[in-house]
Amino acid sequence: MSSIEAVTVPKWGMTMTEGKITQWMVGEGEHVTRGQEILEIETTKVTNVVEAAATGTLRRIVLKEGTTAPVGALAGVIAEAAATSEEIDAFIASYADRLGAGDEGDGGVPVPRTIAVDGGAVNVLEAGPQGDETVVLLHGFGGDLSTWLFNQSALAENMRVVAIDLPGHGASSPIAGGDVFPKIVSAVEAAVEAVAPGKLHLIAHSFGGAVAAAIAANRPSRVGSLTLIAPIGLSRQISRDFLVDFVAAERRRPLLGVLERLFADPSKITSDMVEGTLRFKRLEGVPEALSAIADTIADDNGQLQSIGDQLQALTCPVTLIWGERDGIVPVPQQAEVPGNVQLRIIPGAGHMPQMEASSAVNEAIMENIQRSSGI
Amino acid sequence: MAQKSFRQALNEALHFEMGRDPRVIMMGEDLTGGAGANGVKDAWGGPFGVTRGLLDAFGPERIRDTPISEAAFIGAAAGAALTGLRPIAEIMFVDFAGVCLDQIMNQAAKFRFMFGGRAKTPLVIRATYGAGSRSGSQHTQALYPIFTHIPGLKVVIPSTPYDAKGLLLQAIRDDDPVIFLEHKMLYDTVGEVPDGAYTIPFGEARVARDGKDVLIIAIGRMVQVAEEAARKLAAEGISACIIDPRTTSPLDEDTLLEFTETIGRVVIVDEANPRCSVATDISALLADKCFDALKAPIKLVTAPHAPVPYAPNLEDAYIPSADAVVKAATSIIKR
Repeated sequence: MSSIEAVTVPKWGMTMTEGKITQWMVGEGEHVTRGQEILEIETTKVTNVVEAAATGTLRRIVLKEGTTAPVGALAGVIAEAAATSEEIDAFIASYADRLGAGDEGDGGVPVPRTIAVDGGAVNVLEAGPQGDETVVLLHGFGGDLSTWLFNQSALAENMRVVAIDLPGHGASSPIAGGDVFPKIVSAVEAAVEAVAPGKLHLIAHSFGGAVAAAIAANRPSRVGSLTLIAPIGLSRQISRDFLVDFVAAERRRPLLGVLERLFADPSKITSDMVEGTLRFKRLEGVPEALSAIADTIADDNGQLQSIGDQLQALTCPVTLIWGERDGIVPVPQQAEVPGNVQLRIIPGAGHMPQMEASSAVNEAIMENIQRSSGI
Repeated sequence: MAQKSFRQALNEALHFEMGRDPRVIMMGEDLTGGAGANGVKDAWGGPFGVTRGLLDAFGPERIRDTPISEAAFIGAAAGAALTGLRPIAEIMFVDFAGVCLDQIMNQAAKFRFMFGGRAKTPLVIRATYGAGSRSGSQHTQALYPIFTHIPGLKVVIPSTPYDAKGLLLQAIRDDDPVIFLEHKMLYDTVGEVPDGAYTIPFGEARVARDGKDVLIIAIGRMVQVAEEAARKLAAEGISACIIDPRTTSPLDEDTLLEFTETIGRVVIVDEANPRCSVATDISALLADKCFDALKAPIKLVTAPHAPVPYAPNLEDAYIPSADAVVKAATSIIKR
């Protein structure tokens, strides 16, 4: 039997149930290569592109432009030239039977819950099958668990994946008083203890990278792997203006201007992202908490955190992923990267490669997890 | 995040702010829901269930039932605001505001101006508005254009439970008189509302839906109608952006202009009567400032210029429908 690959409506975010085919970027009969952008899909929250999962020929477009279809629906078929039309037809027919046989079910959209910890509550969103190992996702400064819109569902196909709102972000309560950083680490550790038994695979972005590094240093025997995306703590360079302007932005238009700096392609930003960010920024206590966090990240001389020694002491696989065009935390010099750490640069991406190049980031995350034992 | 109704969101805001600030008081008809009826207190939580529990929590000194005397208690509230309290006065139906317009438009709205900025009037007037509840033409109008016209008043028209709580907290903390209008048909709508306190600044429109083919500007309950229309348009391959101004005074002109410049096709959906309305006001603004960006005439979808009918079928026909919005949008897309 010839190799035949499905192009399906992806699940971008835990609440996504359907998507609208807005544009096929290649036509039937055209050659596609793995990773090539081939299809644009619109949801109520986001419009994004689907990359080809295989190299071959786009043999069939099943869902025409303008069609709205559920997550998992077969949108098209990529196959090698040797595949016969009968084989393609049989593949499409078999796929129709698979739709709806997934584990989502009616009303199967996961909803976040809060975990009570010292000094407040931490909001978590869980997905994927329970197991002995758990992937934990920690966002960066000013983000929330929707940072993992394009990652959590994909990673949760095989593993338990828990996305966490850091204190002072999303629906988690802010940390009050001094010692902000250790309090955040402590609150996240408490939440992780409650929802993620067994071995941990920590995936963290930017400021979350320093939190993840601290957790890994505190309990190295629990951590199976560490994947950090543009973490702070490896060099002194950082856009302090971003931190200051983010804290100061109280309305949509100035906040949009700040968020645009995160992306190589600012058109990725949706009104939902802006509104979602404003929602937690408006909560009482959050502006003060964000200001305190910003002060732990950097001052006028640059970054204040340092994670190099923590990473160097780890025995588990550690991978750094960086957007080549990161304008917030620039790619570190080779000398600043510990010897036991892999560094992967994503071309064309800014400070949010997990959103701008989600397929490549998901692949890198899975590779690092698989480098640890037991997976 | 917890799911709460529009009514619960308002109730939470009132509880929170009265607990936080002892200067906040309330007055209005039947606020304590059943007062005077065989000694029953708070049986209904106010005429629409919004003020439930406030009497128990804050007592009759701060939660005042009034006689049917809008002119008197709105005047009393305006005076109380001048003297340092932060009163919330409830007019059961905004249609009744006519009898206290002097207190609103000729007194409260002008104090800051007349006294060179040295007088604050932190007064919130809450009232219901809108058609659909079979309440007859004297209990159903969308009168926000009248208040929007008066300088010195701030006019707030929330469309979601989240906005209802954040805008009401902002209104109570504002130092100027605020008209806060609640659509009766929105009280049971449900959405995500944080448990904690938060405020939404006035003059900040909400982009309720991203889209690129047509811009729908919708006010109050009409945001729901616009969202239904946008879903229907999406099925036809038309991508609609929806903007909810949230407050008609101050009006977030920048956002309206920005999106009009980008999209070029505009439909304005407004439940108020069309003459001298917010819809016509926004239309004039866009025509003045964005004429060169417009690809088609601005379309208005409004109620007819008539009192609200009592007959259910006529009342339903009176309210702007999603189909009417779709028709208006489609007509300018095809030009």
